[in-house]
Amino acid sequence: MFLALKEMRRAKVRFGLLISATGLLVLLILAQQAIQTGLITSFIGAIEKQSAPVLVYSVDGQRILQGSIITPALEQKIRSTEGIEKSGRIGQGTFTVKVNDDEEDSDAAIIGYTDPDLGEPDQLSAGRAARGPGEAVGSAPGFEVGDTVRVLGPDGGSRGTGEIRVVGLADDAQLQVTPTLFTGWSGYVASVKSANPDAGAILPSAIGVAPVAGLDPAALAERINDASQEADALPRQVAADESPGVAEVRQSFQVIFLLFGLVVPLVTGLFFLIITLQKSASLTLLRAVGAQSGLLVRSLMFQVVLVIGGGLAVGIALYTPLSQARLGEIKLSFDVSAVLIWSVLLLGLGLLSAVVSARRVLKIDPIEATTGEGGR
Amino acid sequence: MSDTRTDESRSGDYGGSGPDSTPALEMEAIRKVYEVADEEVVALDHADLTLAPDEIVALIGPSGSGKTTLCSIAGGILSPTEGKVVVGGKDISGYSSKELTGFRRDSVGFVFQTVNLIPFLTARENLLVVDEIGSRDRKRANERADQLLEELGLEDRAGNLPSQLSGGQKQRVAIGRALMNEPALVLFDEPTSSLDSKLGDQMVRLIREEMKSRGTAAIIVTHDDRITGYADRTVHITDGRLEA
Repeated sequence: MFLALKEMRRAKVRFGLLISATGLLVLLILAQQAIQTGLITSFIGAIEKQSAPVLVYSVDGQRILQGSIITPALEQKIRSTEGIEKSGRIGQGTFTVKVNDDEEDSDAAIIGYTDPDLGEPDQLSAGRAARGPGEAVGSAPGFEVGDTVRVLGPDGGSRGTGEIRVVGLADDAQLQVTPTLFTGWSGYVASVKSANPDAGAILPSAIGVAPVAGLDPAALAERINDASQEADALPRQVAADESPGVAEVRQSFQVIFLLFGLVVPLVTGLFFLIITLQKSASLTLLRAVGAQSGLLVRSLMFQVVLVIGGGLAVGIALYTPLSQARLGEIKLSFDVSAVLIWSVLLLGLGLLSAVVSARRVLKIDPIEATTGEGGR
Repeated sequence: MSDTRTDESRSGDYGGSGPDSTPALEMEAIRKVYEVADEEVVALDHADLTLAPDEIVALIGPSGSGKTTLCSIAGGILSPTEGKVVVGGKDISGYSSKELTGFRRDSVGFVFQTVNLIPFLTARENLLVVDEIGSRDRKRANERADQLLEELGLEDRAGNLPSQLSGGQKQRVAIGRALMNEPALVLFDEPTSSLDSKLGDQMVRLIREEMKSRGTAAIIVTHDDRITGYADRTVHITDGRLEA
């Protein structure tokens, strides 16, 4: 590795620029990844974080919680399906609220559940679970423990439903990029009545279902769907992933990632091909005086690893503070798995991109040292 | 085909040249034929050449006469089509490409006409690179490089890059590099072509001193008749045939 390191030391600017360029591309990739994750989480985090293993929508609801209405007949069919350990109602609506004494009104999604095990967030980042009427777990970002929330009526005033007090927080638990509250069914009903005093019977948006021990949630969802053509049962993660718009967002970002995944190895591959051609006279001389071609290829690959590794270090160093930022209601986060996957992927692609240069090195004929052709 | 590699193996360990009685080079009935556009071009035609352990031979001939081909075969860069090549007691005639690479690294020195130094390595590192591609005895290589640079009058230029050296200094570094592995044979291809007559004269004198002090044989390919005065013997080559 003597040759590789000496060359890099003597061409600091050249290699430094490549490492910087690679680092900026890595930063762009990781930043895009963080934005994608933050965006999707902001849309469907509440679905992912709620505790029901299976969510059953009405088919007409098109897998949108707020658009789904479970009629009593459908609820009965769902509950009577074999393999259900327990089930509970889940309701969801978006309301205009006043938080604390803020002058500005804001929007909040409120998710109500009859059974805390089938609707409440399964992990809290602060505070405690809601225990009684008027208590709720809030999404973070969006709420803080101790916040009081009043649902406003059609005229802008609250209609005596009391207040919802935030007693706990759940990270990444927003719905439709809106601050979200998880509360008991009575609190949800009171919120609906507050917003619409003329509302009749409050029907659930979905039914949360837990399978009996030994039964896979996916299998239970299939049974429910077989039992009723009006039911659209989905395991929790599938319900999140198949929410309208999620797949499209992922596909759009994947196109961007694909382009980045091509640009990084293309840049490094071209760079190393250019410098391999530029130093072909030196490589020819080394071959002539007895350097095995394998040694020269290893030296080349070592440089590729150093450049990509340096680029990854620069990119990750820049990404770390960026990942702590918030874009409005979208919270970014440092995604360790994304960093690892992209590191391995870019390193592999970088090495692959250097194959052309390596082939050029392997083709060097030491006889060119005697004719001077190696320098041309 | 005989193979005497085990007799005098140098293995890149700076072990010095072989016994005085062993010729530095024996080329017997060497023939080299190239195929160019379905036609055979004979570059060397049954060439015989033997060099004593510390003999310096000037190889003179017009362009295209086969000088470079002969040197390339003697140095293991090319393989002969026919004939036998023994360098420092090693019969390299049937060596594979990989074996020839190892042979060049361990047993011969080269000073080429055009490119001789790695531009991103200092003068000292250009010598040490021989150790890096070979046996990797760092301590010994450092001592050897420093000793050679001192002998060649380059101790104060050890840390300079080739771009910071004059033409004569570059050639001296190249000679140092060629001597790093204590070769049985050093091949010089037009070593004075890029130097003025005064520097060229100094260079050939230096080559002679270095070769003789080490008991190392050398072939100096040249067009320059003045060099013949420093050689022990002059060999002419015309159309691939050697004439003593």
